[in-house]
Amino acid sequence: MRCPTLVLRAAFAVSICGASLLQGADPLNLSIPLPLTGGQAKFGEMMKRSYEMATDEINAKGGVKGRKVILAFEDSQAKADSARAIVEKLIDVKKQPIIIGEYTSACAKAVAAVANERKTPYLIVASADDAITQQNYKYVFRQNVPNAYYAQGLVSFFKDVVKPQSIAILFESSDFGTSGAADMEKHAQRMGMKVVLKEKYEKGAVDFKPILSKVKQAAPDVIFMVSYVMDASLLMKQLKELRVDAKLFAGGAAGFALPEFVDNAKDAAEYVVTATLWTPQVKYKGAKEYADKYKAKFGDFPSYHGASAYSAMYVVQDVLTRAKSLSQEDITAAMKKTDLQTAYGHIKFEDRDGYQNQCFSETFVLQVQKGEHQTVWPATYANQKYLFPIPKWRDRK
Amino acid sequence: MNRVAIPLAVFGALLALPLIGLSSYTMHILVLVLMWTTIGMAWNLLGGYCGQVSFGHAAYFGVGAYTAGILYFKLQISAWWGIPLSVAVVSVFAFLLGYIVLKLRGPFFALATLASGEVLRITTENMGEFTNGTLGILIQQRTWIEKTWYYYIILAIAALTFVVIRKLVASKWGYYFVAIREDQDAAESLGIDTTRYKTIALVISAILTGICGAFYTNYMGYIDPHIVFALHDISIITIMIVMVGGVATEWGALIGAGIMVLLAEWIRAIPGLGASHQAFFGILLIAIIIFLPNGIVGDLPKITRLFRRARA
Repeated sequence: MRCPTLVLRAAFAVSICGASLLQGADPLNLSIPLPLTGGQAKFGEMMKRSYEMATDEINAKGGVKGRKVILAFEDSQAKADSARAIVEKLIDVKKQPIIIGEYTSACAKAVAAVANERKTPYLIVASADDAITQQNYKYVFRQNVPNAYYAQGLVSFFKDVVKPQSIAILFESSDFGTSGAADMEKHAQRMGMKVVLKEKYEKGAVDFKPILSKVKQAAPDVIFMVSYVMDASLLMKQLKELRVDAKLFAGGAAGFALPEFVDNAKDAAEYVVTATLWTPQVKYKGAKEYADKYKAKFGDFPSYHGASAYSAMYVVQDVLTRAKSLSQEDITAAMKKTDLQTAYGHIKFEDRDGYQNQCFSETFVLQVQKGEHQTVWPATYANQKYLFPIPKWRDRK
Repeated sequence: MNRVAIPLAVFGALLALPLIGLSSYTMHILVLVLMWTTIGMAWNLLGGYCGQVSFGHAAYFGVGAYTAGILYFKLQISAWWGIPLSVAVVSVFAFLLGYIVLKLRGPFFALATLASGEVLRITTENMGEFTNGTLGILIQQRTWIEKTWYYYIILAIAALTFVVIRKLVASKWGYYFVAIREDQDAAESLGIDTTRYKTIALVISAILTGICGAFYTNYMGYIDPHIVFALHDISIITIMIVMVGGVATEWGALIGAGIMVLLAEWIRAIPGLGASHQAFFGILLIAIIIFLPNGIVGDLPKITRLFRRARA
């Protein structure tokens, strides 16, 4: 009966050996935690491809201070304890001096707490929850704007073009959905819009008709939805089936900004606008090249998730080049001084409005026109004129 | 003799483990293994010995976790007080839930427990003022950065659970539990108040699970309803741990947790396996369940026989 301890010890030895094999000497090994399986895998996949594209380009130009960057990815399955396990390993076993990645806000919170405790800089690429950069974490940096800013471009589009009197807000039950909906409600009140309905739904639901019937009854000018990718297309399909008309259908980034949204929702996606943090048409240097290259390779334009991941590698290159050494403190100091133009925009980490180490950038509005996401707002960045007013469902072909 | 010596040896080995200077990553995995061992042992009391298969242990885990979380979030009291307090809160919850679900038998009981976990998750999501809803509760500063103390705390909880369950199973109550598992009607006709003893098994099992939940809040520093009331990630994993390790065995939960956490983590990290690691792990679990239906500990004689034959 000595088996239990023996098995445990054996498993240990194996796990320790497995981990230490990966420490290389000369090349710079970076592992990135990502959701590669489960509901968030689509986002993980896009980010993985983008990290790889950037790394290939960086390596082709001589790497970081002459060292070749070798990327590895670890699947966190969008689970907080797995994400934490990965990061503990990266910091402790692989001695990686900087952490990049993760996607869902819940995972990013778990990672941020560990990174800050262990005094290791952590660059967040696409996790939205406002709270993450409001904790006085010295070592946590966020490249994407927080959730409260996601809809800024969209709100100005409402103000200048749509001029709605009322809004219905639908959101998925996650921290991203809840905080996005709360922020939109605040915007609406400031603009004097009446919030006629604010409803939460279970993510991954198969039938939204009960909620959508309520929406139909409330007859709002704008229907605003915050959801990940599968729910976004299903919502639009069922809005079409129920013939729920509104002046405008709007999405709050995430699922609505992915090309898969158009692929899945097909013609129901037509005229839908969405907030986004980046578009392939932005005039940042390198943005177009990245978007075209991505499309040539994988068939679709990337969303802001990909662009942010792609640019994050350049931020890492820049930071590691400027850092006096590869110690965690020096990298953090270099990170704080980042001032870099990337394909994702101007990256600079600031402390303001209650956020720390937060990058603020402009947000945009996309509209689906003829099965493609087009940039329609702000007018200076638009590549297509917005289509508004939109036709009622029964008037569409 | 062995009945005392082996647990003491295992306990001693586990006690000494942090002294050999393990990385904080290994410690994290070990803490998770011990936590899952405790939850597995707790589930085993109800599911293994008493025969009431619960698909809703996330309910008790979550209530424990939120007891600690709400203390911190609402009252600014250290979340560690959640561990003692969760005993009281979870027992009330378990008693109320048990009153409803224990009237049902077999698959109906399983489904009712499954629903109870989901109901609590949705309730927590919607009680925004009290629980912070889906935004979850984030503890700004965890007590220790070092994992050693967390490890010893969860080791103490696990050891305590082991002792409690061993004493219970060897007592008169333990025999009642097994009698209920084997044939509830026969047990009843022998004069065992089955509802009462099923409730006792449920409440004790729930309390032990709830303590782990409160520990989880302190350890991870962040909880939200999707994490702690998770159907798959908590309730089903708990059942898998016991099934793989061995139902109604003393060591099954430890072996099962070792496989479900250590082995899963190890397979996940195999470079090049990529997103297919889950399929790989799934196949492994299927193989274990097909060839060792009583779990690894339950089928230990079968395994040793196999090895002996291979050597001969």
